[in-house]
Amino acid sequence: MAVIADDLALPPARRFSLWRAIRRNPTIALGAVLLSVLIVLAIFAPFIATNDPFKIAPVNRLRPPSERWWFGTDQFGRDVFSRTIYGARVSLIVGLSVAAFSSVLGLALGLACGYFRKVDALVMRVMDGLMAIPSILLAIALITLSRPGLGIVIVAIVIPEVPRIVRVVRAVVLSIRAQPYIESAIAGGTRNWKLLTRHILPNTLAPLIVQSTYVCASAMLIEAGLSFLGAGVPPEVPSWGNIIAQGRTFFQIAPWTIMIPGAFLAVTVLAVNLLGDGLRDRLDPRLARRL
Amino acid sequence: MSGSPNAILEVRDLHTQFSTLDGVVRAVDGVSFEVARGETLGIVGESGCGKSVTAMSILRLIPPETGRIASGSIRFEGEELTTLSEEQMKRLRGHRISMIFQEPMTSLNPVLTVGTQIAENVVRHLGVSWKAARERAFEMLDLVRIADARRRLDEYPHQLSGGMRQRVMIAMALSCDPQVLIADEPTTALDVTIQAQILDLMIELKEKTGTAIVLITHDLGVVAETTERVVVMYAGRKVEQATVDALFEEPLHPYTRGLMRAIPRLDVEADAAGTRPRLQEIPGLVPILTQPIVGCAFAPRCGFATERCRRERPPFVDAGAGHLVACWEIDSVRRVA
Amino acid sequence: MSDGPVLQVEGLVKHFPIHGGLLQRQVGAVRAVDGVSFSIRRGETLGLVGESGCGKSTIGKVVLKLIEPTAGRIVLGGEDVTALKPGAMWPHRRRIQTIFQDPYSSMNPRLASGTIVGEPLENFGIARGAERDERVAQLFRRVGLRPEAMRKYAHEFSGGQRQRLGIAKALSVNPDVIVADEPVSALDVSVQAQVLNLLIDLQEEYGLAYLFISHDLAVMRHISHRIAVMYLGRIVELTDKRTLFTQPLHPYTEALLSAATAPDPKRRRKRKKIVQGDVPSPARPPPGCHFHTRCLYATAECRMTVPPLIEVAPGHHVACLRRPVGGDPGPLSIPG
Repeated sequence: MAVIADDLALPPARRFSLWRAIRRNPTIALGAVLLSVLIVLAIFAPFIATNDPFKIAPVNRLRPPSERWWFGTDQFGRDVFSRTIYGARVSLIVGLSVAAFSSVLGLALGLACGYFRKVDALVMRVMDGLMAIPSILLAIALITLSRPGLGIVIVAIVIPEVPRIVRVVRAVVLSIRAQPYIESAIAGGTRNWKLLTRHILPNTLAPLIVQSTYVCASAMLIEAGLSFLGAGVPPEVPSWGNIIAQGRTFFQIAPWTIMIPGAFLAVTVLAVNLLGDGLRDRLDPRLARRL
Repeated sequence: MSGSPNAILEVRDLHTQFSTLDGVVRAVDGVSFEVARGETLGIVGESGCGKSVTAMSILRLIPPETGRIASGSIRFEGEELTTLSEEQMKRLRGHRISMIFQEPMTSLNPVLTVGTQIAENVVRHLGVSWKAARERAFEMLDLVRIADARRRLDEYPHQLSGGMRQRVMIAMALSCDPQVLIADEPTTALDVTIQAQILDLMIELKEKTGTAIVLITHDLGVVAETTERVVVMYAGRKVEQATVDALFEEPLHPYTRGLMRAIPRLDVEADAAGTRPRLQEIPGLVPILTQPIVGCAFAPRCGFATERCRRERPPFVDAGAGHLVACWEIDSVRRVA
Repeated sequence: MSDGPVLQVEGLVKHFPIHGGLLQRQVGAVRAVDGVSFSIRRGETLGLVGESGCGKSTIGKVVLKLIEPTAGRIVLGGEDVTALKPGAMWPHRRRIQTIFQDPYSSMNPRLASGTIVGEPLENFGIARGAERDERVAQLFRRVGLRPEAMRKYAHEFSGGQRQRLGIAKALSVNPDVIVADEPVSALDVSVQAQVLNLLIDLQEEYGLAYLFISHDLAVMRHISHRIAVMYLGRIVELTDKRTLFTQPLHPYTEALLSAATAPDPKRRRKRKKIVQGDVPSPARPPPGCHFHTRCLYATAECRMTVPPLIEVAPGHHVACLRRPVGGDPGPLSIPG
């Protein structure tokens, strides 16, 4: 009877250790920590904020940072610290929802394009067209057609971001379709639906997650830009873009009104990008193998 | 033990290690051998036995981020290579010791013509004029019997077939008259008929130039047909060393014997149609090199192994005429002809 | 099943179009397979041997209907499957399975080995759930793996063990034919012997037919009953292995045999006729006999006429103009 081919000689599976994970992926760890702090700030903003972010008090206008107003006040005497904390909500909602919506749409279209070659030519030309539209102009156009609001900002950013995801997913699907294990599965009687869901889809998730972090970061920047231009969320909502726009005229006498939300925006985008870069290195087997 | 005066390359107790996430891999674990002037030495073994790492250690091509030569000595014409600076090694490589690899496409620069690549090597090492170097490149291509060599000088690697690219690699390797040529699986990626052409070319050139060749391969057929002496490696260690005739006449290490019986043979008398004799298997797997190996590395898979084999590392025994074997049970192995 | 061939291929042609120019028009074709016929009986191994670019792997894929043939007929267990669309082909896939060359890339890295091996069982509705697991465990034992290893991923196995997984998967649906494309080429010799022995045992146990594709003559001689030698898309010689190795008639077969290395230093300088030059590109094969550019015995006629594959002796087919039926099987003369 058959001899049992000895599998004892294989290295034992290693147990997960948090410390090793951090040491191996310092960028992921740093990005994740920064982002977690921001998310906690955003969620618990009402408890963390030291003052009412909407309360106008002309008496206290343009106060420099102090014990009472950590980050100073703006020209209406509103607390910049509290407004910045509330602003994190807008940025994170926009970033995360744009990433989520464009990932779902992009994944579906990308799978279809990569797997069914007939769909490919048509969809990809449409995607090329969408990519040619600057999101700022699209947002301004959409907002002039309807009421300004968070929803319209998200839609305006999602539309030009979808093609980026589609391209990534499609490229991955094309390369996986050429793998011998796909041929092996077909020869073993695996049919289209299962081939897509079991063999192809799971392999697209890693690059999809990486790409969606970049989309998230760019969505936050675009949102801030739109708000700054007055084409984003309504001016009374404390978003980082709005705070900066309103502080603009007093920049020389009250630089904190711009510097603080600006720094938060930069750190958030940096955190998301660090996370993305770290995940890319970790999830790409070619890069991950190098220790 | 000091080397014979005729040795051009002496490797003594070489240990090369790599640090990985799973621990330290002892890729080469105490290997010694020497190469005489103008001889062809074969290093044979299966994947992971350390044969390529040995070659890379000699040329000091071990990536410093992960690997290092932990101990041992490598002497080339009496000069210790392990302590040379990278600058000094650069002057040596491709000049006095050169190397050819399995996949010539990855070792050639795709954006330079083959003539330029050979000539650059000549200019760098011999300091001759560009014109003379081009002429040398032409001579070399002609020497490796590339038809229409003058025209081929101006072609890019992708315009050549696999066999031709390997010829170009050989031409480049020999362009500065090296004393030693290290060939790592030079024909593994080639078709059978092309492999035969390249092997014949290597033997012919060796006789013409007197370059010693270290031929690294997993293929016992290639070893039998081209080398004079053979080192058999297993799990980072040398297990047997002999002249090619002695080794194939009477392999002494149980691992070498196992290998020879495991390969399907073309040369033995054809069997009656339909019958298919079973091949002899070597049971089990090669050991993991991250864990220190106690005793003989082959003991877990060896039919002759005793308690001692599992406990103590066997020393080399001279079985006559320089036929070295690292095996405690050599007498019982020999009885089972 | 009757005594008829389990797999029969007639006049198989596969051309891959070459597109070029600005408009990506078809500017030529790689004639990967150029009119190949053979048949395999139950329990038989037919070897396809040849150098890279000879079309042997393409034949394997066409026969499996992983790619569509350009012309010719594929008859699987008496049924013509040549023109079947993917959906209609699906039920026939049970009869023909495959083992791939590269045990690393032919397994989905994200699936447990038990899932990979049991996938065909699920696909064809043969077994599900606990029954499937039981069948998979049996298959693991049959190919020499511990059933507990079912939960491991492909990368946790050694090369030889992965090849066993591939064999278990192919075996799972009880096929008639297994196409084995270089199944031992990526393995070390000691492991190669284990896999070859296993393949032979399974063939004898289940009466499997193998279409065994390899470039290695020694492996071929070990496992095959009959061997077809291919050169640039065509079969040049087809006969039982004993005849092929003792009395090769085609000059290319001779060249292959004399180029093969043997683990015997005494034989080393006996290699007499090494064929020179490279294999021409299959996109522009030479006219007439494809081998004439490298053949020592080629005449003017060889450069013009395509030699048909003729049965020169019972069961011995050769495609060489200089080997007529009943001709002298001795050495050919080199034309002056």
